[in-house]
Amino acid sequence: MAAADSPSTALRRRDLCSRGIRLAGKMRADVVDLLDTYVEQQGLDASATVAAVEGVPLAAVERWDEQTGTQRLLENLAAYRAFRALLAQMLEEQREQLGEADAGLGRALAAVLLQVSAFAYHLEELLRLESRGVPGEEGDGPPPPPRLSLFEQKLRGLGVLRELAQWAVRSARDLRQLAKPSPATGTAPGLAESP
Amino acid sequence: MFSRWNWVACGFYLVLNICSPDASAGLVQSCGHIIPESPVLALGSNFTALCILNESCLDFGNIYANQIIWKIKNRVVPKDQYREINRTVSSVTFNDTSSLATPLTCNILADGQIEQNIYGITVTVGLAPEKPKNLSCIVHQISRFTYVMTCSWNPGRHTFLDTEFRLRYSWPEEVFPDCIPKGVNNSCTITDIQFFVNTEIWVEAANALGKAESDPLVVDPIDIVKPLSPQNVSVSSGILPTVLKLSWENWISDAVMTLKFNIRYRITGDTSWMEVPSEDTASPRTSFSVQGLRPYTEYAFSIRCMKEDGVGYWSDWSEEKTGITTEDEPSKGPPIWRIIDASHLPASWIVHLIWKALKPFEANGVILQYEVTVRDKSSLSSPLKKYNVTSTNHTLQLPKGTYEVTLIARNSVGASPPSVLLIPESNSKAPVKNLRTLPKHDKLWVGWTAPNSYVLKYVIEWCLVSSSSDCIIEWQIALGDVQGVDLKGIKPFKCYLITVYPLYADGQGSGESVKAYLKQDRPSKGPTVQTKKVGKAEAVLTWNHLTVEEQNGFIRNYTILYKTIDGNETVVTVDPSKTEYTLSSLTSDTLYTVRMMASTDNGSRTGPDFTFTTQKFGKGEIEAIVVPVCLAFLLIVLLGVLFCFNKRDLIKKHIWPIVPDPSKSNIAQWSPQVPAKHDFNTKNQMYPEGSFTDVSVVEIEADDKKSFSEQDLKPFDLLKKEKSTSEGHSSGIGGSSCMSSPRQSVSDSDEGETTQNTSSTVQYSTVVLNGYRDQTPVQVFSRSESTQPLLDSEERSEDHTGGADSAAQRQQYFRQNGGQDENNIDRPCFERAKQITRANEGDLVGFVQLQVSGQSSQPLGLGMAKNTQEAALSNILQTCTEGQTVRPETVEENPLSVDDMPKSYLPQTVRQGGYMPQ
Repeated sequence: MAAADSPSTALRRRDLCSRGIRLAGKMRADVVDLLDTYVEQQGLDASATVAAVEGVPLAAVERWDEQTGTQRLLENLAAYRAFRALLAQMLEEQREQLGEADAGLGRALAAVLLQVSAFAYHLEELLRLESRGVPGEEGDGPPPPPRLSLFEQKLRGLGVLRELAQWAVRSARDLRQLAKPSPATGTAPGLAESP
Repeated sequence: MFSRWNWVACGFYLVLNICSPDASAGLVQSCGHIIPESPVLALGSNFTALCILNESCLDFGNIYANQIIWKIKNRVVPKDQYREINRTVSSVTFNDTSSLATPLTCNILADGQIEQNIYGITVTVGLAPEKPKNLSCIVHQISRFTYVMTCSWNPGRHTFLDTEFRLRYSWPEEVFPDCIPKGVNNSCTITDIQFFVNTEIWVEAANALGKAESDPLVVDPIDIVKPLSPQNVSVSSGILPTVLKLSWENWISDAVMTLKFNIRYRITGDTSWMEVPSEDTASPRTSFSVQGLRPYTEYAFSIRCMKEDGVGYWSDWSEEKTGITTEDEPSKGPPIWRIIDASHLPASWIVHLIWKALKPFEANGVILQYEVTVRDKSSLSSPLKKYNVTSTNHTLQLPKGTYEVTLIARNSVGASPPSVLLIPESNSKAPVKNLRTLPKHDKLWVGWTAPNSYVLKYVIEWCLVSSSSDCIIEWQIALGDVQGVDLKGIKPFKCYLITVYPLYADGQGSGESVKAYLKQDRPSKGPTVQTKKVGKAEAVLTWNHLTVEEQNGFIRNYTILYKTIDGNETVVTVDPSKTEYTLSSLTSDTLYTVRMMASTDNGSRTGPDFTFTTQKFGKGEIEAIVVPVCLAFLLIVLLGVLFCFNKRDLIKKHIWPIVPDPSKSNIAQWSPQVPAKHDFNTKNQMYPEGSFTDVSVVEIEADDKKSFSEQDLKPFDLLKKEKSTSEGHSSGIGGSSCMSSPRQSVSDSDEGETTQNTSSTVQYSTVVLNGYRDQTPVQVFSRSESTQPLLDSEERSEDHTGGADSAAQRQQYFRQNGGQDENNIDRPCFERAKQITRANEGDLVGFVQLQVSGQSSQPLGLGMAKNTQEAALSNILQTCTEGQTVRPETVEENPLSVDDMPKSYLPQTVRQGGYMPQ
C-alpha cells in the first residue's frame, strides 16, 4: 500500500473523496430522474426486467467490505469507463432516433455522461495519489456492441441507467470507506484497509 | 518636342492606371504599390512603408523614386521622412504611429508639376489587448435542475481594434466549448455546468496586435452557487399563542447541496426586521417554528438559504408570507380615570368613568366587553354595583363619597387583571411640586417633583385651551416612580392646560396645573388699540387681549408705538396683563398715530394704526378764561349801574327834562282859541308812554353844538350815545343813522310821498320851544292829536325859504352823521360798518344779508369786493348810500335851517314861540 502520505496528499485525497461522494450522490439523483424521463420517453415499463447489460460490471459484489481501497478504485474506474462509452453510444443513438426533437433527454444524458467522466477523473486522481499507475483504457474502449434493434437499444439504455444508479450508490459507499481515517497508518485512510 | 510628347503620353498612362478600378487584375497595370498593404499598427510604435514603382512605368513615363511624394489624408508628409532606396523604391518612416491617418498614399510629381497618385493603403492603429483581470464567477440556479454560471472580468484598456474575448473552461481531461460574449466584452454565461469537479476557467482576449489571457480561476461550480430562495413558504399558527410555524420547499436537492437558512420576521406594518438566530437554522430543513411572538399579532416572514458549509452565496429573500398568532387573555387592565361633575346636585356627583382601550399587544385579542365594579367605601353595607360596558366610558350618578372602581377587560380567551381607581370624597392629599414643561421635538415633556408621600401613580390631564369651545380633556397615567412623561399628539402654537394629579393608596392629591406650548410663534394678529379719553397732553389708550387662538404663544409684553406725523416714533412697553395705558407728555392740538404690538418669545405682530388728536385746551382752561371775563363784565355792568344810580338825577334831567306847561304859557293865555280840553298840566298827557315811537329825532350838527349851551345839548348827546350803543338798529326815531333799518329808512324816505296817507294815522309832533327861567329853550316834543296834513304852503314856503340852504343843510346833516370826511360821503357808513365789524364780526354776514333782503333785488353798483367780507362791506356801503340818498328827502320834507335857529334844533317845521296845529 502507499507509504505515509504528506499532509497535502491527505488533504487532496480527502477533498477528492468528499467531492467524489457528492458527485456520486448527484449522479444517482440525476440518473434516477433520467430513468423516469427515459422510461416515459421511450415508452417502456418502469417495472420491466432487464437482463444484465454486456460490458457493464455489476455493482453488486460479494465480500464488498473485504475489498481493498485500490481494488475498489480500480473496479469503479473500470465500471465508469464502461458507462462513459455506453452513455456516449446512447447519446448518439438518441440523436439518431429523435434528432433535436427531444433535446431535454439528450441534455440530461449529456449531463450524466459528463458526471460519469468527472467521476472517472476523480478515481484516476485517487489512484495517482495511491502511487498506482492508472490503467490505460483498452483500445478505444469496450468492443462495439452488436447491432441491436431499436427496442433492444431502448432496453439496453434502461439497463445501463439502472446499473449506473446502482454504481452511484456503491461508489459513494466506496469513497466513504476510502475517506475513513485508517487506524493503522493514520494518514492513508481506508485505502489499505483489508479484511 | 519629343520630350514634351513623351510627358503627355506618360500622364495619360498614369491617368489610365489610376482610374483603373482593379489595378492588379486589371486591364491596366498599376505603376506601383505600397508595402505593407493595409497594416494594423500598434499605437505609438514606429512604421515604415515602401512605395515600389513598376519597371514598366519607368521606361514609359520616366518616373523615378525621387519623384515620389507621400501623403497622409491629402497632407504631404515632410520630405525628411522619405528615403530613396533605389530608383524604384521610396520609403517613408513615422516614429510615432499616433500621427498616422488613413489613407497613406504614394504620389508622383510628373512633368509640369502634375501630382498623380500611384497607390494608397489603409492604416489601422490600435493597441494589443491587456490581460483580463478580476475574473470571478457565480452559479445561478435558474430552476430546480438548471444552473448557469456567469463569469465577469475587467477587460482592460480600450484597444481601438476589434478584440475578441473568450471565456474558456476545462477539466483536466475534458475541454468544453468556449463561451463568447455577445454584445459585451466583460462577462459571459455558461449554461452547461457540472458540479463536484474542479473546473479551470480563464479568459482570452485577442486582436490583430496580440493576445492575452487572464489568470485561471480553478473552482468547483458547486462552491459558487447562488441558489433559488425557498419556494411555497407558508405560515401556520400553532397551539401556543406565541408561536408560528413556517414551512417551505427547497428547490435544490440534497444530492446537489445541503442548505442552511436565515429566517426574518416582523410585525406587519413595522419596518424593522427581527431574525431567528442563524445557529437555529444552520441545518437542512423545510420548516421552522418561530417562538416568542406576541399573541394575536400578524407577522410577516421571509426566508433565504445557501450551501450548508457557507461556501457560495445567499439566495435572495423569499417573498413575504404573513400569519397571525392566536389570542391570549389580556395582559393588563385598562388604564382608568374619572371626570367628576359636581355642579348639578349638591349631594351627589356625576362621575364619568373613562378608560383607554388596551394596546394590541396588551389586549392579546379582541376585547369583547369591559366589566366595571363600583364599591362604596364609605358604607360597608352597600352592595357592589357591576356594569358590563362595550365602550370605553361609563357615567354614573353617585352620592358624594369615597368609591373604589374596578375595571376588567375580557376577550375570547379570558379576563385581564383588574384596574383599580380610588375616587375619594375630596382631593385632600399633597399635590406635586414644581410642575414644569419642556418641548422635545414633537413631544411635550411634563415634569414634576414628587410629593413626600409614596405615590402609586400619576394622572396627567391636558386639554387644548380654546376661547370658543370647551376644554376636551385627554389624559394618561404614569407610574409612581417616574417624575416626567412625554405627551404626544401636541400641536404646535396651541396653548395646553396641563394638570397633574398624584394618586395615593388611600386618596388623591389635588391637581397642579400649568399652561404650555409645544412651539411658539408670533401672534397671528396685533392688538387693536383705541383711545378711551384724549386730553391736551395725555391720552388714555385701551385695547382688548388677543384670544388664545391668536396669541400663538405666551404674550410677554405689549409695545405701544406712537408718533406725530412728522415726529419720531416713541415706544412704550406695557405689561401683558394691562388693557389700558395713558400716554402723557403729548403735544396739544396734535395728530398722533398709535399702534400696538404684541410679542411672544418667537416674534411680534403689530395691530392697525389708530389716530387721534390731542385737545387744544386742557381741562379747566376755558373755564379759567371765561369765568374771569364774565366776572369782569358783570363788575363793569354793576359799576355802570351804580354810576347811573348815583347820577340818576342828572340822567333824569337829561332824559326827562322839565317841560314847561304850555297852558301856563303866555301864548296860551293870550289865545282865546285854546280849547279847554287841552290840559297841559299833567306830564303824562304831555309825554305819554311810547310817544317816541312816532317821533323822529334829528341830530344836530356837531359844529353847531357850539352855538348851543352845553346844558341844552346834553339831551342830544345822550340820544347820540344811545344810538351809537344800540348800533343803529334802534330806531325809528331818526332814520338818520345809516345803520338804521332800511325799512325804517325807506319809511322815512317815503314820508314825503306818503304824507297824505300817513298824515291821517300818524300824529304830528309838536315842538314847543320855550325859554324857561332864562334858559335856552330846549326842544320839546309834544304829541299832537291833529290828523290834519301839514300845510303845503308852509312846507313850500319853507322849501323856498330854505331851498337855498337845503344843500348846505344836507351837507351839515351828513357831516353830522358821517364825521369829518366831507369828500367821501360813504365813509361815515363805512366807518360805522367797520365799527360793527369790530364789535361783532360774526354778525356781519347776517347783517349784510338783512340789508340785501331789505333792499329787495336792487342791483348793487359796487363790484370792487376783494373778498366776501369786503363784498359785504360794499353791500353795506351801497345800502348805506341808497339810504342816504333817501334820507335827504326826509330831511327835505322837513327843511330846517340850523343857522336860523342858533339856540335850538327843530326837527320839524317849528317856529319859535310854539306851533298850534289848529
